[in-house]
Amino acid sequence: MSNAKNKLRIATTSLAGCFGCHMSFLDMDERLVELLEHVEFDRSPLTDIKHCNPCDIGLVEGGLCNADNVHVLREFRRNCKILIAVGACAINGGVPAMRNHFSLRSCLEESFLNGVGVENPQIPGDVELPLLLDKVRPIHEAVQIDYYLPGCPPSADEFLSVLGDLLAGREPALPKKLIHYD
Amino acid sequence: MEQGKDSASNKDELANLRRVAIDPVSRVEGHGKITLMLDAENHIHEARFHIVEFRGFEKFIQGRPYWEVPFFVQRLCGICPVSHQLAAAKAVDQLVGVEHLTPTAYKLRRLLHFGQVLQSHALHFFHLSSPDLLFGFGSDPAKRNIVGVLDKYPDLALKGVKLRKYGQQVIAAIAGKRIHGTATVPGGMNKPLTIAEREILLADISDILSWSQDAVALNEQIHTEHAEHRSFAAIRSNFLSVTGNGGELELYHGGLRARSESGAKIFDQLDYRGYQQIIREEVRPWSYMKFPYLIGLGKQQGWYRVGPLARVNNCDVISTPLAEAARQRFKEFGNGSLVQDTLAYHWARMIEALHCAESIHELLHDPDITGSDLVADLGEKRQEGIGVIEAPRGTLFHHYQINEEGLIEKANLIVSTTSNNQAMNESVRSVANEYLDGNEITEGLLNRLEVAVRAYDPCLSCATHALGKMPLQVELLDAEGALLDRLSKGGNGKFERTGQSAL
Amino acid sequence: MNDMSKDANPVIPDTIYIDGHEIPFTQGQTIMDAAFAAGIYIPHLCHRPGLTPHGSCKLCTVDIHNRIAASSATDRRTHTKFAVDADSRSVSACTTPAAAGQQISSNTPELNEVRKTITQMLFIEGNHLCPSCEKSGDCTLQAVAYHLGMLDGHFPQFFPRREVDASHPTVMLDRDRCILCELCVRASREMDGKNVFAIAGRGTSAHLIVNSPSGTLADSGLETGDMAVHICPVGAILIKEHGYEVPIGRRTFDLHQVGEIGLEKVVLAKARHIDE
Repeated sequence: MSNAKNKLRIATTSLAGCFGCHMSFLDMDERLVELLEHVEFDRSPLTDIKHCNPCDIGLVEGGLCNADNVHVLREFRRNCKILIAVGACAINGGVPAMRNHFSLRSCLEESFLNGVGVENPQIPGDVELPLLLDKVRPIHEAVQIDYYLPGCPPSADEFLSVLGDLLAGREPALPKKLIHYD
Repeated sequence: MEQGKDSASNKDELANLRRVAIDPVSRVEGHGKITLMLDAENHIHEARFHIVEFRGFEKFIQGRPYWEVPFFVQRLCGICPVSHQLAAAKAVDQLVGVEHLTPTAYKLRRLLHFGQVLQSHALHFFHLSSPDLLFGFGSDPAKRNIVGVLDKYPDLALKGVKLRKYGQQVIAAIAGKRIHGTATVPGGMNKPLTIAEREILLADISDILSWSQDAVALNEQIHTEHAEHRSFAAIRSNFLSVTGNGGELELYHGGLRARSESGAKIFDQLDYRGYQQIIREEVRPWSYMKFPYLIGLGKQQGWYRVGPLARVNNCDVISTPLAEAARQRFKEFGNGSLVQDTLAYHWARMIEALHCAESIHELLHDPDITGSDLVADLGEKRQEGIGVIEAPRGTLFHHYQINEEGLIEKANLIVSTTSNNQAMNESVRSVANEYLDGNEITEGLLNRLEVAVRAYDPCLSCATHALGKMPLQVELLDAEGALLDRLSKGGNGKFERTGQSAL
Repeated sequence: MNDMSKDANPVIPDTIYIDGHEIPFTQGQTIMDAAFAAGIYIPHLCHRPGLTPHGSCKLCTVDIHNRIAASSATDRRTHTKFAVDADSRSVSACTTPAAAGQQISSNTPELNEVRKTITQMLFIEGNHLCPSCEKSGDCTLQAVAYHLGMLDGHFPQFFPRREVDASHPTVMLDRDRCILCELCVRASREMDGKNVFAIAGRGTSAHLIVNSPSGTLADSGLETGDMAVHICPVGAILIKEHGYEVPIGRRTFDLHQVGEIGLEKVVLAKARHIDE
C-alpha cells in the first residue's frame, strides 16, 4: 500500500469541453482502483474541492470560450507542476471553435433572437454571465502546456500511458498506436 | 448589481435585497452558478440557477452537410453523445424519406440507446450523487466523492463502475468507440453486431441485471426511509415524456405525453414533429439556458419536468417485468398521486437502469440483432427533419432544415436539461427557503442547494452547448453591492471567511 | 553525423543509397520512384504515382550528401540547431531525379522533425477538425501526422473562413481541409482530360478554384467517376451523402499503416462508392 505522502496529486478541469475526456478517463473502469493507490485528486469535477491547490499534474479538457475559462486555466498553470492539454478542444479548439467562423454576435442572435420558438427574444447580458471571448482559442495560446493527449476523446489507455510514465519518473512518450485525433 | 432584472420587482424592492452567489455547482456535468436574492427578513425573493457558458451550436452548424450532423452534434456532450447522435439520426432519416428502419437497424439503435442510458444513469448515481446520498448532505467534503465511496463502500462502488463499463461496452460494440463513435447512417446503421460480440455481451448480463436490481433496492430504501428526503426541494410540476402507444415507458421512439401535477393527462400520443405547436422557449437575461413551457398552459404555469421522474410517473406500464415490479412499488409510494419528490429522481433513475438491463438482455437474445440488413430503401427527400428521443436526462428535440444542396440552413435543439430549467430554479428556491438561517451561510446550505440541482442529473454542456468550472465563493452583498461577508471554499474543503477582498 | 563519403561506396551505375540501403533505379526515375519500387516509404502528401510530381508539400524532403553545395559563411543551413553537412542538399524526393551514387538520408530524426513541423503548419492553416470530419480514418494527412508522432498543432490556429461548394449533385468541395496539394488539379488535367480545378491567389490567400462559368462545381463538367473526385488525400473533395458508412475499425488507416507500399490502390478502391 502506498504511503499517502508519495501519491501524486492530480487536478482536473473541463473548460469549454463536453466532458467526454473526463468520461474517457473514467473508462479505465476498475483500473481506477489501482491508480488511486498512486494518485489522489485535488480540484476536479468529480470532487467538491473548488480551488486548485499545489498539485503535481493538471489535466485540462476543453478550450477557452470565456474569461472564466482563462482564469481557471491560469489557476491551474500556477498550481500544477505539469500541465497536460487533454483532447481536441484543449489542443486546437475542437468543435466549439467552429463558432470562430461566425461573429459572436451572430451566434448569440441565432440562439436568442432568431431561434425557432423563442419567446421574449433578447441576448442574455446579466452581470452573472462571464464575458465571452471573441474567438474560441486552444489553451496553449494562453499558458505554457507541458504535454498533449490528443483524441476526441483520448482513450483511457492514453491517460494510463501518460500517467504511468509520470508515476515512474519517465518523460511521457505516447506510443504511436495510441495516437488518434478523433 | 443586476442589469435587466426581469421579475416584477420595482426599484424599491430591489434596493432592499441582498445577493448570495454559489459558484460553481460541483459533481454535475457542466457549468452552473446559483444566486439568491434575499430581503431583510431572509425571505427568498429570487433564486436563480444560471448557465454561464454559451457555444453557438445553432449558428455554426449552418452550412454543414446534413450527413455530418449526428457526429458533430454528439460532441455537445461526452456523457450522452449517443442521445444526440440518435436524435439527429432520426431527423436525418426524415430528410432522406425513411419512415421505417429495417428490423435489425431498429433493434441495433434501441440496443445502442439502452446501453447509453444504462451507463449514464450508473455514472450519475455512483460517480456523482451517491456521495451525498450515502454520506449525508452535510458530510465531510473531502470524502464526499467517488474516491470516498470506493474507500468506504468498495463493493457498491465497483458494481457502479462495472455497470457503467457494461453500458459503454454495448456502445463500443455498435458504434466502434465508447465515446463519440459512429453508428447511424441515413436510414440505418453502418455495422452489424457480430455473433462473437453478442456472446461477449451476453456473458455479463446476469451480473448486470442483478446489480441493477440492487441499485433500485438501495435507492428505494434511501428515499422511503428518510423523511427529510421526501420533502427536500419539494415542488409540484407538470411532467413531459415520450411514451409508447400503449402508454408504456419508451426511450427510443413514441408520442408525447404530458401530465399535470394532479396526474391528469394534458395531451397524449402527440406527434413530436409538431413540437413547435406545443412548446416555446423563453429567454431570460440572466442565463444562457432558455425556459421551455407548454404553450397551452402559458408561461407561468406551463413549465414542466422531464427525465426519469417524468417518464416513470407518466407511463402506465414498463414492458420488462423486474422494472415494472419496481415501478408498481414506486407508484404505491405515491399513494394515488404522482410522485413529486425531487429526490425520487434517483429512485426512478435506477428503475430505468434496470429496464435498460432487461431490455438489453431481451435484444441480445433476439435473432434480428445480428442481422445484416441494415439500411432501408431511401424515399423522397425532404428539407426538414425532426428527431425526438428520451435521452437519459429527458426529452431531447433535434430539428434541422436543409437546402437543396443538403447543407443545414437552420437548426434548433431543445435539450433535456433545458426543460428542467424552471424546475431546478424552483427546487433551489425551495431548499433555500427551508435551510437558510439568518445571515449565516453554512457549507451545509451550499451543498444542499447543489444536491437539489444534482437530483436532476443536469447535463449543462448540452443545455447551452457549453461547459466550465469556476472557483467556489459565496458573497453577501448589500443592496449597494458592498461586500458584507465572503466565504470561500479552500482546496482542502475548509471554509475561509474573508470579509473584504478583491475578486 | 554523416560518415558516408564518396570513397566508402563506389559509384555503381543505376544505384543510389537511401539510409545506407542500396537501391537500384532506372534512368528517368526520381528518388521517390526508386524508393517506392524498392519498398521504402518516404512520407508524402502531394505525390501520386502516375501524376506529374509536384514537390510542393515538402514532406518528402531528403538530404543528398555528396552533392557539391555552395557553402559559405552566409549559408543559413549552418545556423540551424541540427548539425548540417554543408556539402549536403535538401531536396524533394518526388521531383529530384535519381543519379548514380547519391547518398541519401531520409529517415533521420532531424528530417522527421522538419516533416512534423510542416504537417503542424498544414493543420493550423486550415480547419482540420478530425472529430467531425467524415474522412477521419481514411485521411492521408491524418495518417502521416500519426506516423510522425504529431500530438499538437504547436502554432496558433488560423481558423480561416473557407467556402463549401455543395452545388454539384454528387460531389462536395469543402475547402476547410484543402492542403493545396494540387492532386485534383493534376488528376483532372492529366487523367480525366478536363481542367476542373486550379489554384488561385498567393501565399496564405492561395485557394482552390473551380473552372466553370459559375465558379462552382454545378456547371463544371465534373462527374462522379472522375479521378479528380477520388484522389483527394484529405476530406476536401468528397462524394456526398456517404460519410460514415465505413465503421470505426474498418477504415483505411484502422487496417493499414500509411507507410505501406502499394497503399494508393487500397485508398482509391475504398474511395470509390459502390454506386459507380
